[in-house]
Amino acid sequence: MSEGVTSSQGGGPGSGAPAFTNSFRGGVLVAIAALVLFLMTFTIATPTPFRFPTRFVEFLAIVFDPRLLSIVLGAIGVATAFNLIPVRAPQDYYGGLVLVMLAVLALIASADLPGQRGFAFGPGTAPRLFAGVLAFLGAAVTVVGVTTQGPPIEKYKLRGPLWVLVAICLFAAIIRPFGLIVASFLAFMISIQGSTERRWIESTIAAAGMTVFCVLLFVNLLNLPFQLWPQPNAHVVLWQQFVEFFRLIFGPAMKAIGVM
Amino acid sequence: MSELLANLALGFGVAFSPMNLLFCAIGALVGTLIGVLPGIGSVATIAMLLPITFGLPPVGALIMLAGIYYGAQYGGSTTSVLVNIPGEATSVVTAIDGHQMAKQGRAGPALSIAAIGSFFAGCVTTVLIAALGPPLVAVALLFGPAEYFSLMVLGLIFAVVLAKGSVLKALAMILMGLLLSQVGSDLETGAGRMTFDLPELADGIGFANIALGVFGFAEIVRNLELPPGSRDILMQKVTNLMPTRQDLIASAAPIVRGTTIGAIIGILPGAGAVIASFAAYAVEKKFSKSPERFGYGAIEGVAGPEAANNAAAQGAFIPLLTLGIPPNAVMALMVGAMTIHGIVPGPQVMTKQPDLFWGMIASMWIGNLMLVIINLPLVGVWVTLLRVPYRLLFPSIVVFCCIGVYSINNSPSDVLIAALFAVIGYWFAKHDFEPAPMLLGFVLGPLMEENLRRAMLIARGDVTVFATRPISAVLLGTSIVMLILSGLPMLRKRREILVE
Repeated sequence: MSEGVTSSQGGGPGSGAPAFTNSFRGGVLVAIAALVLFLMTFTIATPTPFRFPTRFVEFLAIVFDPRLLSIVLGAIGVATAFNLIPVRAPQDYYGGLVLVMLAVLALIASADLPGQRGFAFGPGTAPRLFAGVLAFLGAAVTVVGVTTQGPPIEKYKLRGPLWVLVAICLFAAIIRPFGLIVASFLAFMISIQGSTERRWIESTIAAAGMTVFCVLLFVNLLNLPFQLWPQPNAHVVLWQQFVEFFRLIFGPAMKAIGVM
Repeated sequence: MSELLANLALGFGVAFSPMNLLFCAIGALVGTLIGVLPGIGSVATIAMLLPITFGLPPVGALIMLAGIYYGAQYGGSTTSVLVNIPGEATSVVTAIDGHQMAKQGRAGPALSIAAIGSFFAGCVTTVLIAALGPPLVAVALLFGPAEYFSLMVLGLIFAVVLAKGSVLKALAMILMGLLLSQVGSDLETGAGRMTFDLPELADGIGFANIALGVFGFAEIVRNLELPPGSRDILMQKVTNLMPTRQDLIASAAPIVRGTTIGAIIGILPGAGAVIASFAAYAVEKKFSKSPERFGYGAIEGVAGPEAANNAAAQGAFIPLLTLGIPPNAVMALMVGAMTIHGIVPGPQVMTKQPDLFWGMIASMWIGNLMLVIINLPLVGVWVTLLRVPYRLLFPSIVVFCCIGVYSINNSPSDVLIAALFAVIGYWFAKHDFEPAPMLLGFVLGPLMEENLRRAMLIARGDVTVFATRPISAVLLGTSIVMLILSGLPMLRKRREILVE
């Protein structure tokens, strides 16, 4: 969840003025994420009905309701975007907000689990308990981010990380259809693009060497069940993998939109 | 006393033969070589090397297994020190100061002290096991679920104390780890929890995926942001490969303290070694005259935890063999291997198969010895690995990590999960959150929940049970005291010195 580039205007740590980062971008991102969470709350099959709190536990259940929390988060996001909240320590502020969002996500995900029955914990009790405490702590971190001075978030340099991530994801996609040799070689070559110093011949030789080493080690020495070379219908398997992946990731969302 | 000696004599008589010693040496060497590969932790190493032992006679196989086990653990510590990738939960603490030492050119002393500390702990604990084995089991039986829960709470508070940054953020990280550990199947009903109907998550998120993602890949990603030339791991000239006299003197007390802590905590079935290493680190930080060095290459931060986790790992064999409860995945593999070779954990094993049992104990000591003998000369080799230019080193690490994660379950989705946690780890770094407490929370989460549920069930929903049972009350009280001491604003100035 990148919070956008910061350019710290305002005074340094010595002066009294708070060091704002680019609050507009941060606030908008928070608001968008809160909106996504809010929409996700509509996928909960059996939302708990509103009951006036008679016991402390019921009061907690209301406060930690995902829909309410996502609305609050959205409001905070909008307020941040319009510079209504002084963000003195951006790292803590956005960090805490993301933690609260994670807790809300967990609350949404565990909403369909039965809770406590009498004195026996249900499957849903511990996740909701931990999520509640996490939300509380995240809020506390955010408050710290508002009240105390802190360093700005460093720039996200995306080139290196992106190449490494592409290499890893490519490895995951390719290892089954195309085998160990192709996957290792490609992963090596692609992740090496993440570095600013690239020497093609050296990289290719190193990639080949590393691939040979891995094959010798894992397959010959340790007899691990790895497929070395591509399968006969590798591209078909690859396509099937992609289809399944997209179905898994976007299936629930499509279903939800269809429901709505 | 004579019984102690008789038992040990029996064990060594069984274990000490040239063939067995050779097996142990081979096991230790191979275990270290595989364990040292970044991305391949103890679980993967032992799983990969287990088939090698199948053809051997039982005692020989167990001895080789002991060698592999210690080799794998030491290999994991080596990766923690060299490239900041903990292979197992117990090596997380070693990475904190060990890697900083490596950056300062002191990887050799770090690795050597880790080996020496582990060996000392192993020796002491072997004698301890032999002497106090049966009575200790009785103590372990006093620990009910409420006490285990409180012990784990204490362990998590230790993680807060050792965090470099703010207490609040460390607590939040712990909770995040606890929350992540809830993903998977429910303990009692088997219902999927927070899995979003993804079958890959039905078994939960694997420790290796998180550890590799947050420590391994994220570290690489962070290093790539630095300008080239300043990111070679070895920033300063390598000094000695061996620890100096000063190092040895400084490490002596931490090793003894770590051994004590590890032996005590290791006896209890549960995540003993993990808690022991965190506890030893926290204790060293508190006992130190200059606690601000911790986190920046203090050798006590390597010596104490390494001794503690070895002592705890060895101490954990007692409840493992007598009660049959493996505290973690590695031990579960060992139990499986032992069962294959004829030792079935249970109360009878000490009395019905004494030669196998004590032979196993003796083989653990031999494994420790082999580790020191083999690895101290190899320290130079490991340190040379650091000289590889980073632009060639990091793709190798990426490939090894991918293969390592994939090999655990032959599942590409594990690799994808590790990639996701790489992004998360990168985000942590940008927002100054520390990953180590999260990992501890993740490891302890399922156990904590299980014990919490069981305690509440037994107490019929009475929350005060944690305070009314004496041991549990003491443990919880200690955690509260430690938390207050760490977070009290009045003492904040003193704590800032502690964490800086």
